Amino acid sequence: MSPQPVDALVIGAGPAGARAALRAQACGLDVLLVDENHDAGGQVWRPIPPGFARAPSGATSPEARDGDALRAELRRASVRCLFGHKLWNIGTNLRADLIGPEGSVSWQPRALIVATGTTERVVPFPGWTLPGVIGLAAATILLKSQNMLPGHRTVVAGAGPLLLAVATGILKAGGEVAAVLDLASPGDWLRTLPSLASRPDLLWQGLQWQARLRAAGVPVLYRHGIRSVEAAGSGLEVRTQRVDADGQPTVDATAPVFAADAVTVGHGLVPGTDITRLLRARHRYAVELGGWVAEADADGRTSVAGLYVAGDGAGIAGAAAAGAHGELAALACAHDLGRLDATTHARERDRLQSSWRRSARFGHAMGSLMALRDGAVAGIAPDTVVCRCEDVTRAEIDAAARDGARDMNQLKAWTRCGMGPCQGRSCGDVAGALLALHVGSREAAGCFTGRAPLRPVSLAEVAGEYTYADIPIPKAAPL
Amino acid sequence: MTKTSPSPSLSLRTDHAVRRGLAVRFVVDGQPVDAFEGESVAAALYAAGLRELRRSPRDGAPRGLFCMMGSCQECLVWVGTRKLPSCQLAVAAALEIETLSYREQRIG
Amino acid sequence: MYDAIVVGGGVMGCSTALHLARGGMHVAVVDRGALCREASGVNAGTLTLHMTRAALVPYAMRAWQMWMDADKWLGMGVLATHVPGLTLAFTEAECELVELRAAARRAQGAPIEVITPERARQIEPGLHPGLLKAGYCEIDGFASAYLTGRAFGHALKRAGVDVIENAPVEAIDSGDASHVVRFAGGREPLRAKRVVLAGGVWIEPMLAWLGVDIPIKVLVNQLIVTERIRPVMRSVLSVANGLLSLKQFANGTVLIGGGWQGEGDRERGGVEARPQNLVGNMRLAAYAVPALAEARIARIWLGLEAETADALPIIGDVPGVANAYVIGSAHSGYTSGPFMGRIMAQHILGQTPDLPLFEPTRLVGMTMPGA
Repeated sequence: MSPQPVDALVIGAGPAGARAALRAQACGLDVLLVDENHDAGGQVWRPIPPGFARAPSGATSPEARDGDALRAELRRASVRCLFGHKLWNIGTNLRADLIGPEGSVSWQPRALIVATGTTERVVPFPGWTLPGVIGLAAATILLKSQNMLPGHRTVVAGAGPLLLAVATGILKAGGEVAAVLDLASPGDWLRTLPSLASRPDLLWQGLQWQARLRAAGVPVLYRHGIRSVEAAGSGLEVRTQRVDADGQPTVDATAPVFAADAVTVGHGLVPGTDITRLLRARHRYAVELGGWVAEADADGRTSVAGLYVAGDGAGIAGAAAAGAHGELAALACAHDLGRLDATTHARERDRLQSSWRRSARFGHAMGSLMALRDGAVAGIAPDTVVCRCEDVTRAEIDAAARDGARDMNQLKAWTRCGMGPCQGRSCGDVAGALLALHVGSREAAGCFTGRAPLRPVSLAEVAGEYTYADIPIPKAAPL
Repeated sequence: MTKTSPSPSLSLRTDHAVRRGLAVRFVVDGQPVDAFEGESVAAALYAAGLRELRRSPRDGAPRGLFCMMGSCQECLVWVGTRKLPSCQLAVAAALEIETLSYREQRIG
Repeated sequence: MYDAIVVGGGVMGCSTALHLARGGMHVAVVDRGALCREASGVNAGTLTLHMTRAALVPYAMRAWQMWMDADKWLGMGVLATHVPGLTLAFTEAECELVELRAAARRAQGAPIEVITPERARQIEPGLHPGLLKAGYCEIDGFASAYLTGRAFGHALKRAGVDVIENAPVEAIDSGDASHVVRFAGGREPLRAKRVVLAGGVWIEPMLAWLGVDIPIKVLVNQLIVTERIRPVMRSVLSVANGLLSLKQFANGTVLIGGGWQGEGDRERGGVEARPQNLVGNMRLAAYAVPALAEARIARIWLGLEAETADALPIIGDVPGVANAYVIGSAHSGYTSGPFMGRIMAQHILGQTPDLPLFEPTRLVGMTMPGA
């Protein structure tokens, strides 16, 4: 069970992690790239299932091309990869414990580069837990990776760039979009135009998407959200509501109702801080970056020596910026390990930082569209489940706060919110916003304390094969 | 909420961009389900109209796949003695899975 | 000026304060954090006599009843659940330990009998087939420790106790007539006729404020809880060597403990688990109840437990300081906490405690084993 040594362990093989691994290897570091998926690409460049092939006739999307190119580059460079492995624990000395198909394995890196991306935030509404209601990111994975529609007739709702991408993705795949509900206004979108100055390709794509929706007669309702979803016959009934600029529902009896068999909804992306919280790095709250993020310098160095963050997990900046950020982290890591001289570092760094800044401009603009809106949180109905794992409602959270729960951990202890197997990933951001309404700020409310396991692991997986005699019994308790 | 989708005859699978892997049958709660090798089990179940995958702990409310990225823990299934997110499990011909409610009923 | 200030808002401190207030005193409880957020809020919640030290059995039995009746005297329960307790032996050496431990506890009044594996399996069908012998106690059970702070918070406020949270104390100036409790960060000091040190592992530095040197060992206990699983057990389980505690709550989660040590200390708190000790603890749990092998772990955490040089509590007058008291460091302190607080309060109120206290002076000059 002795950990295997490695210079740099990169966690997450998306755009940031894969680029970090490639760059670290190019700097002469001994590298290991780890991901729980079966291949590299992360969420944005998800591979197609093993055994599938891209149809030669169909035009491959730019994303598919970029993803395939990245995976090919990793193979060409012979970057050592550990796919299909679940990282469940990291020690304060950065020792990483993983579980894969062959059992437990541990690695002892000198540096850890965390590029684990984001999870999707959904501001709860009555009916959000019904089968057939899925995230926008989930719909993207179904469409792009599994080549499957989320439904025959789908309502697409929420905020941010994924809305149009998913809606048009559904149309392209031959499905029907009942409606697009956008918390944003056309003005909000127009305000992102300057950020698109350097990306005419994306601007053109956005305009094409809008044209396509218009041509298909899909109602696009700005400043609208979902009031509730109910099971209706064999399908779903989606009641909408008007919202103000803050996402707060306004009274409007005329908000339309749509029939559908699926709803895909997402209100932005939240940087994953499981690992940085487990390692007790300092964090700060930045709503425009998606929520809590590890405090880090421009190269991704956190407050913990040897721990780096890169990509959207360090703060929403988009896929294009993620690659540059990964490389910056790798360079900083190589330099800090004494394997890169200061001059070369400075030169490469300047180049990459310019590239990052250019790419991040667009990513940040999209981040602001996706940022959590206070009004949306305030508008959550009391009986709505917030913690899916434990069925904890907003009313219970508010009651605990009124009773004196002052921070997220106390809230967790008093309501069980965050105690389930998702470990607060689905509910944490919204629960934090709800508690903040009582205690004054997100900073006052804080975060759930990071705990192992980072993902649920079974006793069998950790215990392995053993007999009673194998159990290392320490001294017996006093009589 | 019924378990099956409105038009089981119309597939949710879209084929314009990919050639799928081998068409296989795998077993879900003792019943055969048609799918393609390599697909995520969560997606295959969803396409087969089996959208309800579990019941929530306190309210007994129906739940199904939600995040598709191994985070939310809603799509869990049993594979032998292992409980796995089905969105991270690939379909294979010999695969036998049980939904959480089915195994609870079977074992008690 | 307060009649008493209790420094440390865990079970011991809260129970002491509650009983003092009900005895007519004007009391404040101060804590550097929130009530019952250290050991008292993160322990395994085991209410067992098997793993309580033999000498503490009479105390634990009375406390057990208090936990079961918490709704009545505390006003809010902690989901205290009465189930039988089994302590298990899988080897010959452990069989001897079962007999030894059962006898020592029976001598103190615990209704523990040694039973056959067949009888044990009637009580707990899911036990490992290799079981050789078991100690059985009808009086056993568990509580949800994380609910304790909320329950005591309500009761203390209703009793008129001033609860001052998030107020770290940095010194106590003791004079003839009163004590001054000084806070970090410029908060106004508080004055009291009496002071009660109830700081758990922090009792050692607290005693040092009063010029008293008594070492308190810090144990860093690892705890593991699973996600909700189907019912696989219905008793509280331990192993004769004292290194496993196992229970399944009504919500289906299984809590695995047993005192396996992680990394940490008084200054930093619990830092991280030791992987080999996680593996050991889990192996023991999955051995005792094989159905647990499939269970997935939702969370692992650490809690600090205090232990004196003779592993018995420190409850009584602070040596050499007038009107100063100390309460803590009871092995299985959560189990006996409510009752320990009552007898501490009885002593301070000038009444005869229901059971004898644990004289702190005995610990002055006693060396900590292994130190």
